[in-house]
Amino acid sequence: MKRTTRAVAVSAAAALLLSACGGGSNTTETPSSTGDTASAGDAAENTAEDSAAETDVEAAPADDAESTEAPVRDANAELVIWADNDRAEALKEFAKQFGDEYGITTQVQVSTDVRAQFSQAHTVGQGPDIIVGAHDWLGEFVQNGSVAPVPLADDVQAQFVPESIEATKFDGQIYGVPYATENLALMRNTDLAPNVPATMEELVAHGAELVEAGDADAPMGAPVGLVGDAYHAFPWLDAYGGGIFGQNADGGWDASKVIIDSPETIKGAEKMAWLAEEKALNVNMDGTAMAAMFAEGRLPYMITGPWSTTGAAEAGINYAISPIPEFQDGGKPLPFLGVQMFYVSSDAKNPAMAQEFVNQYVPSADLQMAMYENAGERAPALLEALEEVSAKDEDLAGFSEAGKGAPPMPNIPQMASVWQPLGQATADIIGGDDVESRLKDAQKEIVANIG
Amino acid sequence: MVTESPETEQQLKFERGEPWWAKSLKWGLILLSITILFYAATVLAEAGHWLFVVITAFVAMGVLIVYATRRCVPFKYLYPGILLTLALQIWPIVYTVGMSFTNYGYGHLVSKEEAIQAIEASSVRQVEGSQRYGLAVAIPEGQDPATGEIVFLLTSPDGSINAGSLDGLEPVDPESVQTSERGRITEADGYTVLTGSQVNARSVELSEFAVPTESGGIKMIGLSEAFIGEATRVYDASSDTIQDKVTGQVFVVKDARFVPRDGVGSGLPQGWVENVGFDNYTRALTDPQLRTGFVNVIVWNFVFAFLSVITTFLLGMFLALLLNDPRLKGKAVYRSLLILPYALPGYITALVWGSMYNRDFGLINELFHLNINWLGDGTLAKIAILITNLWLGFPYMFIVCTGALQAIPSDVREAAAIDGASAFRTVRSIIMPLLLVAVGPLLIASFAFNFNNFGLIFLLTGGGPFEGGQSMIGSTDLLITMAYRLAIGGTTPNFGFAGAISVFIFIIVAVISYLGFRQTSALEDVN
Repeated sequence: MKRTTRAVAVSAAAALLLSACGGGSNTTETPSSTGDTASAGDAAENTAEDSAAETDVEAAPADDAESTEAPVRDANAELVIWADNDRAEALKEFAKQFGDEYGITTQVQVSTDVRAQFSQAHTVGQGPDIIVGAHDWLGEFVQNGSVAPVPLADDVQAQFVPESIEATKFDGQIYGVPYATENLALMRNTDLAPNVPATMEELVAHGAELVEAGDADAPMGAPVGLVGDAYHAFPWLDAYGGGIFGQNADGGWDASKVIIDSPETIKGAEKMAWLAEEKALNVNMDGTAMAAMFAEGRLPYMITGPWSTTGAAEAGINYAISPIPEFQDGGKPLPFLGVQMFYVSSDAKNPAMAQEFVNQYVPSADLQMAMYENAGERAPALLEALEEVSAKDEDLAGFSEAGKGAPPMPNIPQMASVWQPLGQATADIIGGDDVESRLKDAQKEIVANIG
Repeated sequence: MVTESPETEQQLKFERGEPWWAKSLKWGLILLSITILFYAATVLAEAGHWLFVVITAFVAMGVLIVYATRRCVPFKYLYPGILLTLALQIWPIVYTVGMSFTNYGYGHLVSKEEAIQAIEASSVRQVEGSQRYGLAVAIPEGQDPATGEIVFLLTSPDGSINAGSLDGLEPVDPESVQTSERGRITEADGYTVLTGSQVNARSVELSEFAVPTESGGIKMIGLSEAFIGEATRVYDASSDTIQDKVTGQVFVVKDARFVPRDGVGSGLPQGWVENVGFDNYTRALTDPQLRTGFVNVIVWNFVFAFLSVITTFLLGMFLALLLNDPRLKGKAVYRSLLILPYALPGYITALVWGSMYNRDFGLINELFHLNINWLGDGTLAKIAILITNLWLGFPYMFIVCTGALQAIPSDVREAAAIDGASAFRTVRSIIMPLLLVAVGPLLIASFAFNFNNFGLIFLLTGGGPFEGGQSMIGSTDLLITMAYRLAIGGTTPNFGFAGAISVFIFIIVAVISYLGFRQTSALEDVN
């Protein structure tokens, strides 16, 4: 009884909070690499691929791509996987193959909001066995006890991009098997900026020339907006070794060590303030404005991720991807690494089957290639598949190069208390606030939030 | 009362004479609802929600009493409404109030037992230096797959094969087994290898199964792998602590979760639900960030709701009066055009206006060659919001006023004209009072709606700009957007705290509505 009442409770609270709010309020606001920031690009992708999804006759009624309802678990299926539309498509073949090999029935269901729908379904014991999603959901899942550790063998771990395995760890324990990575990079319009800039200073100088000559509206673009965007600002903050959290002894993020007001972070933020002075960063520029400007060919450079390539290509812009350049004095802006992975539910009906699938099937080049081809062309996490793909996909090679050495985005639940205050602080700094005192305020606010 | 009045008799006759189809329809519907309720009860019973089973039974009994008998005539009309009010209005309120006394939220979703279970389960690690085995789950030949004694056929990295049972390991001749391409044992002499479905059927039993060895129990990972794993964190019920066997750290209970006893490092993430009394309410009232912003937010919330209603009403009424003039031609066209902003989905309008206010690339500044920092300055952002809400809201007021104006008899106006009243005087003293009687309650409703106009604020400014080096209280925040950010949006969701804030908002809105409706009943005395 308790579990249902709790589910009712959540909806009741949400209902009361939002009851009088009229329509159209977007309730998922937690910024994450694959949530907010990717949404613009993903949305574009989805519309492009909707038609393909609609022709799928195999899908159960609940799998309708148009529906925003949570999928309903089929009581007869022995292994159930939830993923978003594109990923579910790519997985169907492998789930079937797996089912045939072990003589069980499998089902891949489309969930429009895997994170929330899994959490809700898990609370009432109706969740799937496996879900596919971003690594920064992990802290929340562990906190709620909704996922189980995946004891991945050492030799299998060694087949992956090392950072991607790091990203699947919480408290030293692996909770999933990665299949793709994504990170920010520098995307440039090759008609306006034919050469890869060697330094940020060179980039800004060339951008300013273009603006002067009337060929561009801004020297560079990055999503900022009035409330800021901590994800896109992070490369500047960590350029000199700063960041958000310090690390504990076993390499995990330590929520009790917030380093936002450290001298290293301040030094990076000074550079961010300099970029703002040069008009390369602007609080009035957000993701939408940036993408539109780039698509019009009025923006030589932008800091963005793989989700922007489709839009740029559709607009007929010639572009190229390269790492975010270093600063002249050696500061190296590194973006967050986001990892897509397979989680196993702690409440899996058949834990052995679920573990078998993620331990044996996900680390295969075939599956990783299929996910690359059908689910957004993100860089595969399995080294073998990555090499194969990088050789033929220049964009991906560029992003993968830009992500070398990038720290995985912290997956601890305390990150939820960081996005908003840090984002606001970066927006204020870009808007002209004093760097040091503003970061000190942000540090205070975040430490208080974490409690 | 010996003689029955003829009317009653007639009435009774009429009832007796109920046509057969009406009767069967009635009983069909009663049966249908009972069947549905019975089905719901079985589902609920299966899931073990006994309280709801009982409630369903009462609802079903109510259906029978109200509709199957000739009594309770008013109730025949009220029953569905009462049920829906209870289910959709009263129950959520009761639940929210109940929840506001707990710490229910992410990290505190489950019971303490479940949290401890999760802590232990997620701490299972491979024992240092132990090896991994290839696995096939089997039973001794001839036994029933559903009950047979489980045997793990384990392939060591060096290729040797052992059969592991509860008695320990026993070597198996590698020649006696057959393997698949991927190295999985598919057949073994003397054993029956279980299929996936057969393993699934025994998954509960298998999750407990471990082959005892010197360095620990060999457990299955998936279907084809096994390792020696053990929980590194163990709960001790007597001292109510959790000990980490690797680091030796001891975790004690504090605020419904386990934190290190020595205070070094972070606590364990898995917490549990607990009653916290009035903590959420005290926090809502004493949180320093909240306290400083709360007054400003409340004041702005009232100003926003009040001005929104007034501006939209005045503009809507003005346009309605203009278009109500009999001399005007093409009214239908004007009216349709004026309703357009109302016909577009509000959230699209809000987003479009949001981009129009952009300081550098927005339409407004570009069109008028201005450099106004619309959404970056607290006061300007408030004005921007009021302008947008005026645009969004006046068509509604326009429709309402047009309707009400057409209901005002023209002789009243003519009488005023004959008495020599000016146009303004006519509107103020004759039209307005009559209009307000009809529109008054709608104004109150509009006030209550705008008081909680989450969508507009959320999409247009997100509550911002955030001034003074913080990100919790924005200049255009309403109570509802602030509550959302504090409790759910900007941090780890805490439904208990959100519940407490909701209760505050509920009280405020309830008081306003009560006072407002009392005011409108005073207006009705005009008639």
